[in-house]
Amino acid sequence: MIGLLCRIYSAMLYAYPREFRLQYGVEMQQCFRDRCRELAGAHAASGAWFRFGLRTVMDWMASIVRERQARKLVQEWAVTLLLFLFVTTTMVQAYVVPTGSMENNILVGDHMLVDKVGFENGGNNWSSYVLPRREVKRGDIVAFRYPEDVRQTFVKRVIGLPGDRIRVENKQVVRNGQKLVEPYARYSTSGIDNYRDNFPTAPDFYTLGGGREMFAHHVQGGEAIVPPNTLFVLGDNRDDSLDSRYWGFVPNNYLVGKPLVIYWSFDAPTSDYVGWTFHHVEDVAFHFFSKTRWNRTLKVPESQ
Amino acid sequence: MPKPSDLLPLTPPVFHILLALADEERHGYGIMQDVARQTNDALQLGPGTLYGCLKRMLAAGLVEESDERPDPELDDERRRYYRMTALGRKTVRAEASRLAGAVSAANARLGLAGGKS
Repeated sequence: MIGLLCRIYSAMLYAYPREFRLQYGVEMQQCFRDRCRELAGAHAASGAWFRFGLRTVMDWMASIVRERQARKLVQEWAVTLLLFLFVTTTMVQAYVVPTGSMENNILVGDHMLVDKVGFENGGNNWSSYVLPRREVKRGDIVAFRYPEDVRQTFVKRVIGLPGDRIRVENKQVVRNGQKLVEPYARYSTSGIDNYRDNFPTAPDFYTLGGGREMFAHHVQGGEAIVPPNTLFVLGDNRDDSLDSRYWGFVPNNYLVGKPLVIYWSFDAPTSDYVGWTFHHVEDVAFHFFSKTRWNRTLKVPESQ
Repeated sequence: MPKPSDLLPLTPPVFHILLALADEERHGYGIMQDVARQTNDALQLGPGTLYGCLKRMLAAGLVEESDERPDPELDDERRRYYRMTALGRKTVRAEASRLAGAVSAANARLGLAGGKS
């Protein structure tokens, strides 16, 4: 957690003028990390972390204005603006979770930042020079473009990597012949839906395009075999999740990134997060404090 | 060399940073902690504010860089220490007496003298 915050902070330092960053960047990072450690050592409540985060961002913005003003250069400001755009478009992306397919680990209304450069397999490779990254592992929670409709972003858990053989027997996932222990999985019904809970059987009415292609080419001996450069993903809310069982594999280049941190969690129904409604704006305005799930603020969605 | 009076009034962060360095040299995080202590957490400097101030204070000759060494209480990483110069000490004294003058003027006008508040 602290390592992650320090990574974000060190990226934020790039908004300062170059000389300032070179002169004081290392010391500023030391201070930031010391403060994080102090908070962690004191077992600070999430409220204290939240105030610290807010104060740090305010300090950041105010001092950037200050340091840049001192130079009075238009082009310096252009750099800052570009950096803001760069950060929001390539490095992190804000994302609201609209459905409960990952409950109870990720709830409807969780607003999260997605780290877009954390994975090797992701789209933009050049940014690996900026931040450390690693390969996707089984059990990671990932955000990706929904292969059936790339305008939508989905968040699911990685169950199978290329080459893995996956099947589901009575809701129990079996990977490469081994039953998985899945403390994160939740089952909302004991009823068995043959397609959903004994996968893979045969495509049916609910099987989408990618799923049909999976059944046609990647099912062998009653198991789905994950092809190269793709992932097999399932929602934690197993009985109520539109996932790889229905639409097949996620190509690596559809991967957006790794959920980084939940910065705000607001308790509202799915319908409020599908499109913008006046009702939702009103709801947020009047119930911001009562309907915000404060204990989820700054929570890191955990991989397994 | 500027005179202390040229530099007045000091901004609150600069004033408290100088106070933090009055009795010993400190590294950045040490200054942040001490300023929070001095002000009962009313002023909590962020790294950007702190080093922005230090940069200007170095340029004005109020503080100077000491050596780089580890802080025995934190870890063995090397940290840059800062110390107050003679000009810094004169300036913070001048600022303190300027503030004291302002406070007593306020007390006289507002009838706050005698510790009532």
